Order: sequence, then structure tokens, then C-alpha cells
Amino acid sequence: MLENHAILPCNGLDKNAGVISREIAIKLCENANNKIICPVYYRVAEGKYNKIAGEHSLLVIDGCQTRCASKLAAEKNLKVSRRVTISEEAKSHNIELKSNLRLLENENTLIEIILNGLNSPEDKVALSSDETTVFNKFDYETYQHGKFLFRVPANPEIYFNENDCWAYVIGTRARIGVTDFVQQNLSDILYFTPPEIGTEIDQFGEAGEIESSKSVFELVSPVSGKVISINEALIGKPELLNENPYELGWVAEIELTNFEDDKELLIGFDKYFEIMKKKVEDINV
Amino acid sequence: MSETTFMGVERAKIDWKPTIDYTSCDFCMECVNFCPHKVFEVRETEVIKLIIRNPNNCVVFCRACSKICGPDALSFPDKNATTQRIKEIRKEESNA
Ligand code: SF4
Ligand code: SF4
Repeated sequence: MLENHAILPCNGLDKNAGVISREIAIKLCENANNKIICPVYYRVAEGKYNKIAGEHSLLVIDGCQTRCASKLAAEKNLKVSRRVTISEEAKSHNIELKSNLRLLENENTLIEIILNGLNSPEDKVALSSDETTVFNKFDYETYQHGKFLFRVPANPEIYFNENDCWAYVIGTRARIGVTDFVQQNLSDILYFTPPEIGTEIDQFGEAGEIESSKSVFELVSPVSGKVISINEALIGKPELLNENPYELGWVAEIELTNFEDDKELLIGFDKYFEIMKKKVEDINV
Repeated sequence: MSETTFMGVERAKIDWKPTIDYTSCDFCMECVNFCPHKVFEVRETEVIKLIIRNPNNCVVFCRACSKICGPDALSFPDKNATTQRIKEIRKEESNA
């Protein structure tokens, strides 16, 4: 059961997804000790809501990809501990969102599913990561362009694709993430959507999303395999990706299924460093 | 654009670009404003106000613009087929 949370929902009254977020927020407050932050009233009653947000963990419910609620949280410097996006949930449960502003069967089903998810204990990552696998020896080479510094790890066990993602491979396991090129390009990173634990990803398949106020970046997985854990720290602090997208801002761990084949379409440090430098010069970050 | 190869394969040989579904596109131009690679072209005075002008500028395996398209009007080739094709071309070229 979700308890002791402040809930900041999208309140888009003229959109189906907004009406759904609002209903979920109300339901979460009905039988539990949670508190709603009204996004409209927040504009004029800042003190009241800052206090609530300061005393509780914060759940943000976004209606659609515009993510007004998340943007409001960022604007008010609130620390988000959980986040749900209605349009994404609808997609992943094959429920089509229409334009009606009253809750019908469709909406109620989705609300039920989302509430169940929020109220069940958070999926604890099966910390199968045996302690012997340590992915923390990054030997960087750096490239400076204007005021921007780009670090790229040169370890032979770290592979890259041309989509600026890396995979640090030890045995049958890999840790994946993005390079400094991505984080510098996006600048201030505000949201991180992890890949789902347990899903099988193909090489070049989507492995999460990173979003800044400027742009969205979809992680293109360098390797194929099963997602066995994600970097939980990024959910509350996506800015770690800006700080260091390697040791701190890695994205997920993958149990490799076909690395020998994957390798054929991966490059090592030398090649990636050249490609990246060229990109930096071309786009003038 | 300088990216003329991808994984050692000539970019023009790889089929990777967005396809616009004109039955759902509402010409909001979010995708145009989003993508920095000049893949799209706006044609103000035409009925079809948006076309794919430079398909080979599209970054292979990028699908980012489809994420910001509200009506979900952008689609991409099958990723696995594209991966296979790239591998084949590499093989052909290394044998040649
Ligand atoms: S974002 Fe989607 S709807 Fe808008 S112009 Fe592009 S393809 Fe069309
Ligand atoms: S997929 Fe990426 S590179 Fe291609 S048109 Fe869309 S945003 Fe641009």
C-alpha cells in the first residue's frame, strides 16, 4: 500500500489522461495517509505545498508525454521518488486512450491496474548481481571542445555502438549506459525512464529513455539479453547522468544472450573516440 | 551531413528513416523542430505540408521523433531486419 506520499498529479481537465491521473490521485488519498498537491493551486499556495512535499516522498503522475506535472516538480526543485505516466501505462497494457472526459470502462480498468502497481511493494531488484562482478574500473581518455569535456573509457572490455551507448562486458553480464556525448548534448537531464526488469532486449533495441528540457534520448542497447537490474539511483536523481554517465549514471545490467554475434556490430574505444570527436566538431554542442 | 557510413557500411545502403502516416499526421511539426538532422522538410504551401527530404540524414536506429509525435504517425523499418542487412552488406563487402 502506498503510504506517506505527496502526490502531484497532472490535472489536465480537458484530456482523458489528465482525468485519469486526477482520479488515481484521489483514490490514493482515500484510504491511505497520502496528500494531494494541486498543480493549479500550487501556483498561488507555494508555502503550503512545499511543506507537504518536504515532509513526504513525492509521487508524480503525468498524464501524457508533455509531463507538465514533472516539469512543475522540477521548477519547484522537488525531489521525485516515483513517477507514473498514464499514456505510457496505457500503451504497455494495450489500452487505447480516447478523448472522453468521463471515466468509462476503459479508464476504470487502467486506473485499477495502475493503482495495483502503485500499491504493491516496489519490484525489488533481484540482486542477482554477484558481488564479484564489479563494473567500476573506468580508464578515461578525455577530449575537450570549448568548455565541454568528453570522457570516454578506454578499457578493452568496454564496447560502443555508433548511437553513443556503451556496454561494459564482464563474463556473461554487461552494464550499459550512455557516453558523455549524450549527456553534454542533452544538457540538464530531468527524467529517466528505465527499461523494465525482466524484459528481453535485442541488440539496438530500446533500453530506456533520458529526457532533458531540450530533447529526448532513447538508449539504443549495444547488446542483446535480459535486463536483470537497473540503476535505481537515477530514478530520484537523473542528474547523476550529467555528473558522470559511467560509474554513477550507468543505466542497466544485462544478462547477455548472444554477445559473440553482437560484437560484430560494436566498436572499441579507438573507433568510437574518433567518431565522437567528429560528431562534436560537426554539431558544435 | 558528414555521417556517410554506419558501421563501415555506406549510409545510403541502409534503409532507416521515419515514414509519415498521413492519415494520422496533423502537421503539428513537433518532429521537425525536434530533429536536428534536417531529415524532414516543411512545405507550407502544399497540401502535404511535411515530407521526408533527407532520409539518409536520419541516424540509424534512432527513433526519437516518434516519441514526441502525439498522433503516433511516425514509424520505422524493422530493427532486426536492418541489423541483419547491415551484417550481410559487411560480409559481402569484406568478401569482395
Ligand atoms: S510530430 Fe507527428 S503529427 Fe506532428 S508533424 Fe510530425 S509526424 Fe506529423
Ligand atoms: S529518428 Fe532520430 S534522426 Fe531520424 S528523423 Fe527522427 S529524430 Fe531525426
